[in-house]
Amino acid sequence: MKTAEAGTELPPLTVTFRREDLVRYAGASGDFNPIHWSDRMAAALGLPGVIAHGMLTMASAVRVVTDWLDDPADLVEYGVRFTKPVVVPDGDKGASVTFSATVDKVADGLAEIDITAIAGEEKVLGRARAVVRVQ
Amino acid sequence: MTIDATMVGRSYTAAESYQVGREKIREFADAIGDPNPAYRGAGAIAPPTFAFMLGSRALAQLLSDEELGLRLDRIVHGAQKFTYTRPIKAGDEIAATATITTVRKAGDVEVIMYETALSTVDGEPVATSTSTISHNRADA
Repeated sequence: MKTAEAGTELPPLTVTFRREDLVRYAGASGDFNPIHWSDRMAAALGLPGVIAHGMLTMASAVRVVTDWLDDPADLVEYGVRFTKPVVVPDGDKGASVTFSATVDKVADGLAEIDITAIAGEEKVLGRARAVVRVQ
Repeated sequence: MTIDATMVGRSYTAAESYQVGREKIREFADAIGDPNPAYRGAGAIAPPTFAFMLGSRALAQLLSDEELGLRLDRIVHGAQKFTYTRPIKAGDEIAATATITTVRKAGDVEVIMYETALSTVDGEPVATSTSTISHNRADA
């Protein structure tokens, strides 16, 4: 099990989403909402284009924590707010999101970790927080 | 019909349990681009957000309650939280019950919170998923 103290920074992670990744996530998760694969349907809802599944962004964000943990089973709580959509253009470049995390406090064998998710210049998740068991 | 605060407390249990298979866990881990070895092989556990999928049959029941009058294509996922009693693992047979916990209205927009209890079919608690969704009833 990890040791942690307030202020510890976890190694950051940058993930690139391409259209292919959204199609794969749609298939694996069963979330076939067309805003994640059709520009036409995304535009009809007033979006600038196809957006990543919030749950895919959420899954990627927690990797900053689970990559750091010796065992992902030490995660006891994880929550996010979806504040901005991640627009994924159709092209090789896709959309990149950078995740970073800092231990906020440690008490009673639990560490509370704040996660930040930035796409372009914008925060795409709010109040992203994980609680993990530590030594 | 339309949703209102009197519907807080309504519960929807998935008609069928979800059998967690190790190949489905691997497929999901591949789809989120996560190479963690804990999600692969005979003793595989599921990535944390796999839990959302386990609630989808209960959510489908909630959405099909005609008295609430909700439409999937008018819903935006606002927030999501999981608490884990233990990791979900290959071989688990999971039952899901979604309960409406909050309904707030602001004009045409309804903000709904629901909590999905995930347990084994033998009644062992595994995880709780708390979701906040916004439903827009305005005609586009």
